[in-house]
Amino acid sequence: MKTDLYKNYIKNANTHRMNNNVIIIGGGPSGLEASAQLHKMGYKVFLIEKDSQLGGHLAKWDRLFPDSIEAKSILENILENINGVKYFLNTEVESITLLDKEYNVILSNGTTIPATAILVACGFDLFPAEKKEEYGYGIYDHVITNADLENWFKTGLDDRIVKNPKRIGFVHCVGSRDEKAGNRYCSKVCCATAVKQACEVKEAFPDAEVFCFYMDLRMFGKGYEELYLKAQKDYGVRFIRGRVSEVAENIDKQLVIKAEDTLSGKPVKVTLDLLVLMAGMKNCVSSAKIANLFSLKTDEYGFFTGKDSIYKLQYSNKEGIFHAGACTGPKTLPESLHEARAAALAIDNYIKSLE
Amino acid sequence: MEERIAGGYDPFVLPFMIGIVFILTYLLIALIRIICIMPKSDRKRLGLSLLKPKIIYKNIKDIFGDCLLHLKIFKCNPLLGYMHASIAFGWFMLIVIGHIEVALFTPQRNGIIYYPLFYRYFVAEQTPTPKGSLFFFLMDFFLLIVLSGIGLAMLKRIRSSALGMKRTTKPCVADRIALYCLWAIFPLRLLAEGFTAEISGGGFLTKSTNTLLANFFGNDINVLPMWWAYSIVLGLFFLALPFSRYMHIPTEPLYILLRNAGIKPSHPRKGIAEAEIYSCSSCGICLDACPMNTQKKNIKYSSVYFIRFLRKNNTQKTNEIADKCLMCGKCVAACPVSVDSCALKQSQRSTITNKLPYNYSFLNDVTIHSETHISDINAQSGSDNNNVLYFAGCMTHLTPAIIKSMTSIFETVKEKYVFADKDGGICCGRPLILAGRTDAAKEVIEKNRELVRNSGCKTIVLSCPICMKVFKEEYNLQGVTILHHTQYINNLILQGRLKLNKSEESFVYHDPCELGRGCNIYNEPRNVISAIGELKKADKEKDKSICCGGSLGSLTLDYADRTQITRESLQALTIENPDKIVTACPLCLKTFGDQSDTPVIDIAQAVADNIK
Repeated sequence: MKTDLYKNYIKNANTHRMNNNVIIIGGGPSGLEASAQLHKMGYKVFLIEKDSQLGGHLAKWDRLFPDSIEAKSILENILENINGVKYFLNTEVESITLLDKEYNVILSNGTTIPATAILVACGFDLFPAEKKEEYGYGIYDHVITNADLENWFKTGLDDRIVKNPKRIGFVHCVGSRDEKAGNRYCSKVCCATAVKQACEVKEAFPDAEVFCFYMDLRMFGKGYEELYLKAQKDYGVRFIRGRVSEVAENIDKQLVIKAEDTLSGKPVKVTLDLLVLMAGMKNCVSSAKIANLFSLKTDEYGFFTGKDSIYKLQYSNKEGIFHAGACTGPKTLPESLHEARAAALAIDNYIKSLE
Repeated sequence: MEERIAGGYDPFVLPFMIGIVFILTYLLIALIRIICIMPKSDRKRLGLSLLKPKIIYKNIKDIFGDCLLHLKIFKCNPLLGYMHASIAFGWFMLIVIGHIEVALFTPQRNGIIYYPLFYRYFVAEQTPTPKGSLFFFLMDFFLLIVLSGIGLAMLKRIRSSALGMKRTTKPCVADRIALYCLWAIFPLRLLAEGFTAEISGGGFLTKSTNTLLANFFGNDINVLPMWWAYSIVLGLFFLALPFSRYMHIPTEPLYILLRNAGIKPSHPRKGIAEAEIYSCSSCGICLDACPMNTQKKNIKYSSVYFIRFLRKNNTQKTNEIADKCLMCGKCVAACPVSVDSCALKQSQRSTITNKLPYNYSFLNDVTIHSETHISDINAQSGSDNNNVLYFAGCMTHLTPAIIKSMTSIFETVKEKYVFADKDGGICCGRPLILAGRTDAAKEVIEKNRELVRNSGCKTIVLSCPICMKVFKEEYNLQGVTILHHTQYINNLILQGRLKLNKSEESFVYHDPCELGRGCNIYNEPRNVISAIGELKKADKEKDKSICCGGSLGSLTLDYADRTQITRESLQALTIENPDKIVTACPLCLKTFGDQSDTPVIDIAQAVADNIK
């Protein structure tokens, strides 16, 4: 008797899962993790990725703060769990219609998928560093971004990085906390990334002097502050509190940086062989299109806004549409993964409530 | 024509007389006051200017063109121009012809101030004469012109869009009194002369009014009341005049004299400034010109309201508006009276900011970057004086692409140049001036001037129009040619020193405020662009160009409002879908660059990309 009831309960609990499709927009860490979780629950999951590969920014990164875990190993862990998830690469959402509590989604490859719930996890884009023209990205030969540096760590290929740089500088907050760049918010992850990269670059070029130009150092997470101390003590990275005002190039194509050391109250001028710009996060380029198609609310910067900022962050303003990851604002990787799991649960609860 | 009323007097002239005596006394005192509080040097300047034939000619031309015919408004809006000109010129002609009539027919009444106005009441023509008919015709003709203008003015109050104005000013109480009086004066004159026409005779208008009205109202009983009403309304108008916007009628000629003498305001309520603020006719043309006014909430910061609060000595409000203004000069370019409200706002800022402390003693240690870039190996070392001094300016240092392009142009044409602020320079002083800190600005200007003089260069090339304006206006560098790089490049093309490829690309040119309205440079950049591609038109061009929103003129405008202006400006630029937006100011470049979907480049970049 007891086992029958239990079996019956399990059967009932699972039918709603098998009969419902879930669409996930974005194949980055949070999109992947949510697909894995929902797939495990028994839902039919369709993952849509506009790029030609899965993994988002994680796939392009080398190592992760604070413990320098390889990005590749994390991504492999996530990907192991999505076996059986149907995914489309180089695909975007073309249109969406709501038919009696079910969304009908047409993709750019012509496929039409009916779905009970949709998870928007389209992530973020890097702030285009060339917009801060005073830093000379794209104009001077030896200016790169944090993403370029990660790529160099991974591949060792970048003409802009000279053989034996004597001095290397990092500029924090490029396109974040910058009203003139249109972004007043903090991008959250660049401080820790810069400190991590400064250490790594010092490992690569032990003889080089490394400078970090910062406004504040926001080392808020577990192990971050320790990383910052390690950078100073063990790696001898020099932290200068002050924004870089302008960058010029001398005849030898070296970079002449002007900044103010606000702690000593003096102007600083340094000649560098490499300048790394810590480009912040901005809303994903397709978020406006998605917001438009689905009539989703966004904030003044184009990030999606959840129902509230604490308890219902995963719920969008539209019934059956959910958010996860950096599409609602700058997030660290662990946060994005947690949100993906939270969103998977929220979707499960929502679909259960429809039965 | 003969005098009909013995003694040439009737009590109904009294209200008018009270008004006219009041206004004349008021104006006389005001004039003496303005002249007295004017700085001594300005007074001398005014006196001297009144002796120079060239300036006298310009004064007469401007007074006729601006005050009476309103040619400036005609040029941009013919109907609105007609409205203003018909009232001003028509009224002026009525007064002139009235006096001629008195002088011709009743010379014994010459000099009686009310006589020409109420002439038809006192004088009658018993038997028609050709001379009399001519005057009847002329007076009726000009009365009709004025009436047509009044009709349009009423229409403008009800529907400003009918006269091509999106917005119109809110009149204050004195404005309303004067306005309604002004509206009433001429219809009442028509009625008074109409009712009297049977006795005095009349022209096509008054005579036919008479025939029409006589049938309904009779004649005799209405004659005197109408003249009384006419006189009362005139008197009231003159009493309200000093407190209303119509004060611009008597003030404008004085302002023209001061302006043409080359006097600039140094204080928002002294000397020329006083004449300037009373010359504002509150017409509201600046409301539509102001780039901030795409948002309704900003209308209160328009120049017209700034001047109104300045008149009322409302320091809090004037300071608020003065600090908010972008100083783009669009309202100044559009103003039919040429009130330079930006200069007034600047002097208003000075009343506060000039008191702030500053210390530029460190300037003494600054030396110019002396390394001469000799691109031409054969250049003689003796010909130092022909060097070009390149002054990029601090904004250009934030847009290194411009500097890179300029150095590549210098190298291409083998120019021998000194890069003055390669290693950082001194601010040109314009931001300080815009903020009203004229005293502090003098110090940096003096130092920069010394550096330029010591360099021995005879030509300065500037990349930033903000520097350009202050170099031209305040630096006093006789014998040194000051060029913006648009002009310099244009010269290179004209001299055949720079050969460019004409590409398939299309460009639209954005006139930066400080280069266009500020320095009057409109054609050179367009010539340059035509040499490298197709030049497309923008919706608002040249002196109507909309500020990019990044102007450092405003001290308090917030980022959201600036973004709105940037969008508006970009929209006006891209109506013809150009491939690229070209500008000639590093500040515009940066501001547009952040917002624009169409690529934005500086003219130097566009040229450097297309060198043969």
